[in-house]
Amino acid sequence: MLIVLAGFPIYWMYDTAITPRDQLFTGQPLIPDVTRTPQIFDVFTSGVPLLQWLANSSIVAFCTTFLSLLLAVLAGYGLSRYRFHGRGVVGFILFATQMLPEALLIVPLYALFAGLGLLNGLVGLVLADTAFVMPVAVWIVKSAMDSIPYEIEEAARVDGCPRFVILLRIMLPLSAPSIAAAAVIMFFDAWNEYLFASTFIQDRDKWTASVGLSSFIGEFITPLSTVFSAAIVFTIPAIVFFLLVQRHIVSGLTAGSVKG
Amino acid sequence: MTTAAPTSRIRRRNAAAAIAPYLFVGAAAIYLLFFMVVPMARGLWFSFTDATLLNPDGGQFVGGKNYGDLLTSGAFYSSLLTTLLYTAGTVIGSLLFGTVAAVALSERIRGRAVFRALLTIPWAVPSVAAVLVFIWIFNVESGVANRATKALGIGAQGWLLDPKLGLLSVTLVSVWKVFPFVMLVVLAALQGVPGELREAARVDGADRLNVFRTVTLPHIVPTLRIVALLMTIWSIRRFEVIYLLTGGGPIDTTNTIVISVYREAFQNSQLGQAAAIGMLGLCLSMVVTVVYFLSDRSDARKDAR
Repeated sequence: MLIVLAGFPIYWMYDTAITPRDQLFTGQPLIPDVTRTPQIFDVFTSGVPLLQWLANSSIVAFCTTFLSLLLAVLAGYGLSRYRFHGRGVVGFILFATQMLPEALLIVPLYALFAGLGLLNGLVGLVLADTAFVMPVAVWIVKSAMDSIPYEIEEAARVDGCPRFVILLRIMLPLSAPSIAAAAVIMFFDAWNEYLFASTFIQDRDKWTASVGLSSFIGEFITPLSTVFSAAIVFTIPAIVFFLLVQRHIVSGLTAGSVKG
Repeated sequence: MTTAAPTSRIRRRNAAAAIAPYLFVGAAAIYLLFFMVVPMARGLWFSFTDATLLNPDGGQFVGGKNYGDLLTSGAFYSSLLTTLLYTAGTVIGSLLFGTVAAVALSERIRGRAVFRALLTIPWAVPSVAAVLVFIWIFNVESGVANRATKALGIGAQGWLLDPKLGLLSVTLVSVWKVFPFVMLVVLAALQGVPGELREAARVDGADRLNVFRTVTLPHIVPTLRIVALLMTIWSIRRFEVIYLLTGGGPIDTTNTIVISVYREAFQNSQLGQAAAIGMLGLCLSMVVTVVYFLSDRSDARKDAR
């Protein structure tokens, strides 16, 4: 029962994408003609600049993930392995970011990027997205590193290995699954992000896919099959990657949440 | 307070150890300072001015006027009430469905991995794509939701258009979107429940529900509490799903605090007023968090006794 409820909207996306237009308004079939499935790919030749939008989303998502992970691995290691003044403050700020609504920060960020000349470009988007997703990554990386026994590191330190090399050669490989999970979360947060993208970017050819898709809401010119084909193409990568790493997402998140 | 032993022979090494953590954490901290703390402070300043969207920094200081206006306006309180109703509905709904799904999945059933994957999907679906399909599902003339209600004899409903149903529909979509998160976290917590305990209870003649109530539930309560906190503060700040589904309508019935911040800033261009609404909304999240940590601490004390 739950599975039907959970899966139905996705199924319906598919059903709508491949059902001929005239049937949609006269009783959409509950089971579509599956032989029409390849029609989903017609979306690429339908005049909607979907490829361009997906490329923009990918660029933003890749850069956001890279920048977030770089910062998060360093910070996660620092928070996990040192006790220092201000550690509590950093921890508090990390948690507090979870309370900040994007809608509140968007105006100051808009003003900031206007001053830096970063509006209407993907760079500003990467910077804003990173601010929102990086704290979660720090949290996941820190709890992954917390679970690695200190003795492993100590052995290397006794041998005179510098901290940075330890982080690179020992800690990173050992926490790789959690870092991969964090990367997937970061990537698709940025991939899906709508508010900043819709506010910062005006030019249609610089839109990310989420903004492009949202432009179909409330307009009635683009055929529904095109709209939902685009939605499917946009959704599939997210589903595939989440399923691949879901086990590690859970262990990363719970390690963090159980400890508070 | 470094962990470096005071007996370290080389002082220089000690100094290096003292600044090392700041080097590691520093980059992320500076980043957050620049892109979150400073903008936040700027937002706080806006809330005491009459700044407008066209000229954010040209606002005059107006003291607590924005806050005074809000606290004496009915619109703010109805938006606050909407936020509370939406949050309560989403938190309760997602915890309920998430926990039920997790308990069901923790049974040894065939095809468990497939079921778990299917149930995780809504969480992975991008909000914009989910909203597109739900708008179509809720379509008054041709939507499948109304086909179902007509078949059940309830008749067609204006899911997103009827002021009585708008908030309910938005809450339903939100629960659908976030319950898998609860499910995955609770499922992980359930794996920590010792099987022998459940066995023992079952041998003692407890039925399934009793076993769940007396053995399983106490084990997952700490997890449920932190998940409830996260769900609450995430619901208070949720924007995309609500804004794209209804834009705050019908007749402002889904106009949560976060939506009204956005509309005040970008439709009415009243930045000062918008920032003040946002700050009050943030206070709401902080109150929830403080209450959570206080009750957590008093519980811990009770346990310690």
